Amino acid sequence: MTEAPDHHHSPVTVEFLSDWRNASYNCFSSGHKFCREVCPVMQVTRNESWTPTAFHANVVAMEKGELTVEDVAEDYVNCTQCGACELRCPNTLFTGDFYRFRTRTVDLVKQMRALAVDNGVHQPGYQRWNQLTDERTHEPVLGEVPVSQEHVRDWSAGLDIPIGGETILFVDCEAAFYRTSVPRAVAQILQRAGVEFGLMREQWCCGGPAAEMGYRDQAKRFAEHNLADWRASGVKRVLVLDPHDYITFTEDYPAYFGEDYEIEVVLVVELLAKLITEGKLTPEIPIERTITYHDPCRLNKRKGVWQEPRQILRSIPGLTFNDVDRVTQWSYCSGGGGGLPVEKPELTAKISENRLAKAAELEVDTLVSACPWSERPLSAAGEAHRIDVVDIHELLAESLGIEVGGSRGA
Amino acid sequence: MTIAPELSDRVLTELADAIGGEHVLTSKTARYNRARVPAPFPVHRWPERVPDLVVLPGSTEEVAEVVRIANAHRIPIVPRDGGTGLTDGAVPEHRGIVVDVKRLNQIKEIDLENRTCTVGTGINALKLNEVLAEHGLIYPDDPASYPCSLVGGRIGTSGWSLVGSRYGHSRDLVLSFEFVLPTGKVIHLGDGGGRKISKSSSGYQLKHLFMGHQGTLGIATEATLKLFPKPEAELSPFWAFPDYDSAYRCVGQLARAGIATFAGAVLFDEWKVDYLRRDDEAYIPQPADVRALVCAVAYGYEDEVRAGGKRLLRIAKDCGARYLGDEISQGDWAARHDRYATPLHGRTRSGQVAPMSWHCEDAAINYTELPGVRLEWHAIVERLRARFDVFDDWGMFCYTSANTGVDYLTEIDIGIWEQELGDEAWAAWVDAKREIAAVALRAGGSISACHGSCREGEVDLVPLELGGGYDVMLDVKRAVDPNNIMNPGKYGLQRAYAAERGAGA
Ligand SMILES: Cc1cc2nc3c(=O)[nH]c(=O)nc-3n(C[C@H](O)[C@H](O)[C@H](O)COP(=O)(O)OP(=O)(O)OC[C@H]3O[C@@H](n4cnc5c(N)ncnc54)[C@H](O)[C@@H]3O)c2cc1C
Ligand code: SF4
Ligand code: SF4
Repeated sequence: MTEAPDHHHSPVTVEFLSDWRNASYNCFSSGHKFCREVCPVMQVTRNESWTPTAFHANVVAMEKGELTVEDVAEDYVNCTQCGACELRCPNTLFTGDFYRFRTRTVDLVKQMRALAVDNGVHQPGYQRWNQLTDERTHEPVLGEVPVSQEHVRDWSAGLDIPIGGETILFVDCEAAFYRTSVPRAVAQILQRAGVEFGLMREQWCCGGPAAEMGYRDQAKRFAEHNLADWRASGVKRVLVLDPHDYITFTEDYPAYFGEDYEIEVVLVVELLAKLITEGKLTPEIPIERTITYHDPCRLNKRKGVWQEPRQILRSIPGLTFNDVDRVTQWSYCSGGGGGLPVEKPELTAKISENRLAKAAELEVDTLVSACPWSERPLSAAGEAHRIDVVDIHELLAESLGIEVGGSRGA
Repeated sequence: MTIAPELSDRVLTELADAIGGEHVLTSKTARYNRARVPAPFPVHRWPERVPDLVVLPGSTEEVAEVVRIANAHRIPIVPRDGGTGLTDGAVPEHRGIVVDVKRLNQIKEIDLENRTCTVGTGINALKLNEVLAEHGLIYPDDPASYPCSLVGGRIGTSGWSLVGSRYGHSRDLVLSFEFVLPTGKVIHLGDGGGRKISKSSSGYQLKHLFMGHQGTLGIATEATLKLFPKPEAELSPFWAFPDYDSAYRCVGQLARAGIATFAGAVLFDEWKVDYLRRDDEAYIPQPADVRALVCAVAYGYEDEVRAGGKRLLRIAKDCGARYLGDEISQGDWAARHDRYATPLHGRTRSGQVAPMSWHCEDAAINYTELPGVRLEWHAIVERLRARFDVFDDWGMFCYTSANTGVDYLTEIDIGIWEQELGDEAWAAWVDAKREIAAVALRAGGSISACHGSCREGEVDLVPLELGGGYDVMLDVKRAVDPNNIMNPGKYGLQRAYAAERGAGA
């Protein structure tokens, strides 16, 4: 008995399928799953339904009328949008330039989540999360942390940072409300180097998480708010410390606003590496730790930023740095991205545990990350291994003799 | 033939009790995605292969429990591992339960003294080698699907390794394994009774019987593997030739030379070179007078590889080869895994680029027969192309199968524009597969050196290839799997039950 195909897709679905038909077929037709073993979700679940190739195959099956949005929606939760699969895919490696085609699994997952929402199919966790974000203009940030417009600048208490100016520092919700030691470290280092910057007048969540979970309209509304705020206070440059924001501002915002988007986006890690090279910052206080570096997915895999953080770490005296090459790191992820912890915290925990087990093999006492969203799950997993999880900015501040303050989480 | 009853709630409950409810998958997506392997079974017929449910057991005991339940209810079971097999082995023909063993991926022991490791069969060799590297060791089962095929599937297909001339193939590298019979009984299979024994003469050699059966005799859950020192040096020279014949002579001489570090040689024919030149971005382009390519690979210690390599280079030179230089040699050999199955490479007769699936027919052919088989195979595909504009000829490879050069894995790669593939073109393709297999048999070869031959088309010729051996296969199947629950339909083994029931085959 074969199941009766359903050909009654909604108009948005029909449009989606015509957009993705060939791209999905291109993966389906190879179907070799070279991508599979690098996928962090696959590594912990071993469930073939949650692999890049399945994500593409579902589209082919929908196009054939065999599956519906309702059938597939939930599977797309199981992705951190880390981008490892794209890098490992021969379509990207070999045919990318030749035919101007690369496998875009991350984009597909995002679009499929959006398609589900457009069809009224919601994941309860995502729905709640985005509703709370909408009410508070900030992500709820798991736990009991008070999140609101009144508190968004609390992290900077006592640092004397002005509001507005040509350059502002944008702090993601997790760092602003939970791991406040990170933005404090960043702000003080920048002050030390003489970089002038201010804070936003009214900062809302960047909208990236809403976009990642499929709430397109909300994501765009948030983006519009932030851009309007920047424009109103004459902002020309936005400094970003969080890799997720960096993706949102350099990929989503230009897609929303096109030519009109005149803001320069600067990744703090890159800026700091430059300041060190130029001699404007000199880490001097030795830090006696044995570390390894966790390449945040959105920097290494998605943006190709992997040299600068290493440059910073190599400039810090006292560190023993047991590095792993960036390609090996393609299969590492903290599990903290792409909304996974909202719907599947247990998977996030397992992925973090995997990451820490790799670090433990290198016999380190510290894992350095450069992404606030990775640090909570990594820290939790680090406890069992007695490995401390530190943000690269915190570490640099320490070597510069800065008393950081703030909270490193619960 | 056994048919699956409707899966009752009772069965679902029993399975959930045995392995945990979260590991019993009933969703449509879970089932559709277990009805897929890389090479096309026409996409418009996808729903015909969808299983009733999927289970993800986590241990040998759980696999045994699942099999016992299925056997009691006479429900077909299909073992699935990487799902990269090219003959539909891991895809159900009669619905039932797909037993996906990917969760069995632990490394249970690394025995540094006896040079073995024991792993769950859901592990991938690339991942295993990442761990073994820390001990300076390697598990050298190296198919082109190295990043994606898993140990259980290697046992299920008795796969073929690119570097098999030096290290042997899956069947040589797997010393022994834990195996769940179709009744749910767990046995241990290896040479003799030991776990880490490579050669024994006590009893029948059951290990071979329980490898390459495409999941028709049971499920391997844990395997003990042979390990080697991680090679210190690798040499992978590529040579160009102005014609096929001299390249062919060269490959033969390289393989027959008896160089200890020699791990394999490959010959790309004119069609393959044209295809690479036209559509393979990773291929480093060669002048138009290059018509065939040969590459060899040697592994070992620095000093022995250098010495052996000198001899290889000399042999090739004497055959009229032009060495393509270190850069091309290293780059092209490194790309050997990924070179397969990059889509978008197909072209219709008019040269239009179309997304095509990769379909490869493989056979084991003696050296002396290679040139003849090659021409006949291309002619078959040419006739097919003349009738339907959904096929493309991506050329042929042959690879040494053994260190003496007695036989070669011979493969023709065909692009199929599956989106446009209708029933008529598919039927013609199945006929062509049958013809391709027949050519191999006429040449005294085997239909398959590597993938098995369960697919529509070539599967019809298996009894012919095996002669009376096929009847023994039927007897074995009936004895081991009395209720025909293991991967029913594959290899035409339903015939084993037809006589008994007095029904037609
Ligand atoms: C790009 C590419 C290149 C390839 N190159 C090669 C190559 O060089 N050499 C080669 O040999 N093959 C090659 N193949 C084919 C394929 O990788 C092999 O057939 C491989 O052995 C299949 O392994 P798998 O884990 O994917 O198994 P699956 O596809 O899951 O299963 C294969 C068969 O084994 C059975 N099976 C699976 N698990 C078990 C188990 N635990 N116990 C018993 N039976 C089981 C299945 O029922 C099925 O019949 C290639 C495939 C691709 C996509
Ligand atoms: S995403 Fe790329 S590597 Fe993975 S199955 Fe698809 S084509 Fe293959
Ligand atoms: S983006 Fe990352 S998590 Fe998502 S499918 Fe690819 S490898 Fe897996």
